[in-house]
Amino acid sequence: MKAVIKAIQYHLPETVLSNEKLAVDNPDWPAEKIVKKTGISKRYIASEDECASDLGVKAAQKLFENNSCTPYDVDYLLFCTQSPDYFLPTTACMIQDRLGIPNSAGAMDFNLGCSGYIYGLGLAKGLIETGQASNVLLITAETYSKFIHPMDMSVRSLFSDAAAATFLRGEKNNGDFIPAIGPFVYGTDGQGAENLIVKNSALRFPKGTDHNEVAMGKCDQAGTSDNLYMNGSEIFTFTLLSVPKAVYALLEKAELKLKDIDLFIFHQANKFMLEHLMKKLKIPEEKFYVNCQNIGNTVSSTIPIALKDALDDGLIKKGNKIMLVGFGVGYSWGATLVHWH
Amino acid sequence: MTKKELVQMLEEIVEADPDTLTGEELIEDLEGWDSLAVVNFIALVDENFGITLSPEKIMNSKTVNELVSLLDGYIK
Repeated sequence: MKAVIKAIQYHLPETVLSNEKLAVDNPDWPAEKIVKKTGISKRYIASEDECASDLGVKAAQKLFENNSCTPYDVDYLLFCTQSPDYFLPTTACMIQDRLGIPNSAGAMDFNLGCSGYIYGLGLAKGLIETGQASNVLLITAETYSKFIHPMDMSVRSLFSDAAAATFLRGEKNNGDFIPAIGPFVYGTDGQGAENLIVKNSALRFPKGTDHNEVAMGKCDQAGTSDNLYMNGSEIFTFTLLSVPKAVYALLEKAELKLKDIDLFIFHQANKFMLEHLMKKLKIPEEKFYVNCQNIGNTVSSTIPIALKDALDDGLIKKGNKIMLVGFGVGYSWGATLVHWH
Repeated sequence: MTKKELVQMLEEIVEADPDTLTGEELIEDLEGWDSLAVVNFIALVDENFGITLSPEKIMNSKTVNELVSLLDGYIK
């Protein structure tokens, strides 16, 4: 039995945040400067009463509407988010009910950011190929905008809210033992935790705790410790050090060369970072997919959204080998290959 | 890459006029030196020298000369 990606759908909230609108709020950042620095023209923002679960439900419903699967097919639901509805109960349990997935299905949340889709595929493969589940619905969803201070352009210009739903099915090998997903490489470095964090977000520090980080020179951004903080230069350095290693480790594990890969889909952090990684790794431009211009950085959903757009653009054909690489908050990273069926 | 070329690269990053940086300037006084400029500097150093500078070392550099001296041994 092998786990195969059968369908992907995604949902973006209605509200669009353009560079022109951002420039009105932050006159030091004209629209041309924002697009020049980030490569992002617009992002999508969830409404005040719209949570990650709402976006996730809408993305999954598109799978049902398109007859890719029915709620009754799903016997395990994985929900990846860092912006859950509640500490408890588990958001995946509520999504099971809202989507009409049978009570016999397993459901769980897992908390990862930009590496989340790779870990989700790894979990889904494990569940299917060990016979614990037949069909897994993997939903990634975030509403980072709710953590962001309106004057903090370093993150407001990048992040976007979105959800993606991926349906994975177990299929018989039929003599073809090439895995549809895998191998995998993973990585973790908790020393980077402070560089992308909402410090006052759970039980360690209550909302409103003053860490006096501005005085300590640790935080030069607008906002408080209740908001999302990103040390962009540290994150960039982490990416330069970890992503190429992960790419080479995956190629070695798969016994492939860089030229054997038909398409590279990296986490769509921002255009600047992606272009630098592409040059550093010497990946031909036509094999390196970038679609963050009109969507922004949707955290764990960037890879499935890019995969779906690349499919719709006709860039993926049966038998293609696609490398997926996720990296970010944690620090956490992961990479895998999808052999398109 | 020579020291002069590195300073020219820095001038482009901070959007200063060509040949205006002497090296004595305080980094924090450069108008275009912000968090994105730091990222840009790290990227260009990585691209041209194949080394990844620690952001902490960059932030600890007080003058342009101190910043350039992080690449002693790599520049002519």
